[in-house]
Amino acid sequence: MVAREKLSRLKEKFGTAIQRADLPGAGRLFVFVEPAALKAICQHVFRDLDARYIISIGADDRPFSGKFMVAHNFAFDKESLLTSIATYLPADNPKVDSISDVVPAANWAEREIHDLIGIEPVGHRYLKRLVLPDGWPDGVHPLRKDFAWNQVPEGYDDTREFKFDEPPEGCTVVPFGPFHPTLDEPAHFRLYIEGEMVRGCEYRGFMVHRGIEKLAESVLTYNDIPMMAERICGICGCVHNVAYAQAVESAAAIKPPPRAEYIRTIMLEIERLHSHLLWVGLACHIVGFDTLFMQSWRIREPIMWIAEKISGNRKTYALCVIGGVRWDITPEVKDELRKLLDKLEAEWTPVVAAVSKDKNIQKRTRGVGIADRALVKNMGLVGPVARSAGVDIDCRRDHPYAAYDRLDFEVITEGGCDVWSRVLVRAKEVFESIKIIRQCLEKMEDGPLQLTIKDELPVGRLGLSSVEAPRGESHHFVITGENNRPRRWRVRAPTYQNLQGIPAMIKDQQLADMTISLGSIDPCFSCTDRMETIDLKSGVTKVWTQEELLKLTRTKKT
Amino acid sequence: MSVLSKLKEAVICLKAGRVTLPYPAQAQPVPEKFRGRPIFDAAKCTGCGGCANNCPAREILLFDLCQEIRILQYLGRRCAYCGRCADVCPEKAITMSHEFETGTNSIGDIQQRVELFMSTCQRCGRCFKEPSTLEQLKLKGYRVDDVAHERWVFRSKSYLETEPVVDDIKIEMD
Ligand code: SF4
Ligand code: SF4
Repeated sequence: MVAREKLSRLKEKFGTAIQRADLPGAGRLFVFVEPAALKAICQHVFRDLDARYIISIGADDRPFSGKFMVAHNFAFDKESLLTSIATYLPADNPKVDSISDVVPAANWAEREIHDLIGIEPVGHRYLKRLVLPDGWPDGVHPLRKDFAWNQVPEGYDDTREFKFDEPPEGCTVVPFGPFHPTLDEPAHFRLYIEGEMVRGCEYRGFMVHRGIEKLAESVLTYNDIPMMAERICGICGCVHNVAYAQAVESAAAIKPPPRAEYIRTIMLEIERLHSHLLWVGLACHIVGFDTLFMQSWRIREPIMWIAEKISGNRKTYALCVIGGVRWDITPEVKDELRKLLDKLEAEWTPVVAAVSKDKNIQKRTRGVGIADRALVKNMGLVGPVARSAGVDIDCRRDHPYAAYDRLDFEVITEGGCDVWSRVLVRAKEVFESIKIIRQCLEKMEDGPLQLTIKDELPVGRLGLSSVEAPRGESHHFVITGENNRPRRWRVRAPTYQNLQGIPAMIKDQQLADMTISLGSIDPCFSCTDRMETIDLKSGVTKVWTQEELLKLTRTKKT
Repeated sequence: MSVLSKLKEAVICLKAGRVTLPYPAQAQPVPEKFRGRPIFDAAKCTGCGGCANNCPAREILLFDLCQEIRILQYLGRRCAYCGRCADVCPEKAITMSHEFETGTNSIGDIQQRVELFMSTCQRCGRCFKEPSTLEQLKLKGYRVDDVAHERWVFRSKSYLETEPVVDDIKIEMD
């Protein structure tokens, strides 16, 4: 077993610094180590054993063990192993050695632990505030258990301003944000510009941090959380829904029935289809190629309708509960889905054929937003960004979940490291998704949709789950708890890592390429809140107010 | 080469024709299973409290005005239309309707309030048949959610004070 072999290698090298280990099943390894050895062990795992960094988690475990906990998660993609290297820290003045100088990708995660849990990563070179808002008082950590979910901290100062860094000599600051049309959350970049060239940037985001993790561990219950998890992302919601359910299932050793696994797979692939088509369209839109934007969205729309037919909503599928799924795929929907896939394939093939030869779009995207293998490794970049750099990772194949172990598909990689390669990867992955859904429809067996859970879930167990979202790996970490809810739930969306690669991807390139470089990792679009109509006869333009629009939607009369 | 791809792209567009709907004047019809605004049927509801306990958005408040009357209030503010309430309701008193254009200037339009006659019910929770242990009623007994401020109160009581608990609730009686 791979986990056992890795563990014995660690034991050989670090001896008694490895305090205990847990091998709950295939593909998972939890190692509990001495705090003093944490950094060296992580370095060994990341550099010598060449694991991929996923995320770091901090948890307030004081009510249970009297200690704080920090865990660094790594993946051995070739060997299908997810591992967590955890350590416990004393309750007062918790400190841990920072690993971000040996694992640069841990930069944000450690700052987040510092902000939210109040564990100091000693030796972190840039321990600036990351998640908490500007006015939040120092020394108050909202994810600690003694901080109530609805508490307003004393000394919140609305007037306090964030201190930005000084730009390098000779550079002008160009603000980019706080809202950007291609990002699904408000984000603020301060770009350091020299002439037309971007020389660096500072990022301030987390403006819509909603505290879902805190809600989950203090208010919601196990089966409430999937519906909230889904709302983490407007595009890949189902991914979070499934990833959360799987993390709890892996902690509690629950196996959903096979039919449920197939349905999860189908819904995840339906989501990938709509997301890829949406993104290819948006990427074209950003570079000014609106024709394809329109066409790809037109081709996408029937996918939304079928999702609505299966689940009751075009985007929020509300699919999972612990131990299964809520919606079935009826024979009638099955036929319709098959037809839809045929049509989709027939429509998407000429689009890909036309676009892959189109020089205009290539001029805007080739050699832009470069993320090479080294950057992917160091910043832990995932998904199409990694695959466009020839890094052959895909959780569906590497850490199979749902029904992916029973399906046959290819992982698309390209070698260009640029935005163009990302377009190709995502455009081609559409065909793989179609293939996957077809196989699922073929192989899906009859049976129950949900496992009946008769006992309360075990307490204090750790669970990991990685799900390949359209834009990269979504990773969920759960510690099960009392009162029908988890003690700690940590979500790492793919953008969390991919965004950290942006400063390197935009450095020393034209300011004009900023939007597409940024758009190439994770775009989304906000809707406008007003409508304009033009009377074709008179040519008179009328801008509708919000009230008029509301009235129109309700009465359908102008 | 590029001219050829431009031509191909033009063909794709021409073939597609016009597909946009004149929304909001006309909307795409929704499928049978569509999950829109939940509608509560006062005649079927027994006041077991299962929906309120399993609503992820904590949209459903329960307030025991006195031994005989329980108020169930659906806030309609942040409902996720997830349909969990309809799933768990043992009496099938909640239907997920096809209404989705629920934007309004006055929230009263979409709020629902059910006044339930509970007789000698002690709110022991046995009327709610949980689908699994994960849906079990954690708050059994009398519930005193803050209807005035539209907030859940994460507590319940095993007995009711003889004095009215809060006086800011008025029941409209005809
Ligand atoms: S649909 Fe979901 S969010 Fe809305 S009231 Fe029912 S359970 Fe709550
Ligand atoms: S679950 Fe059904 S019966 Fe029980 S309170 Fe809610 S609507 Fe009424």
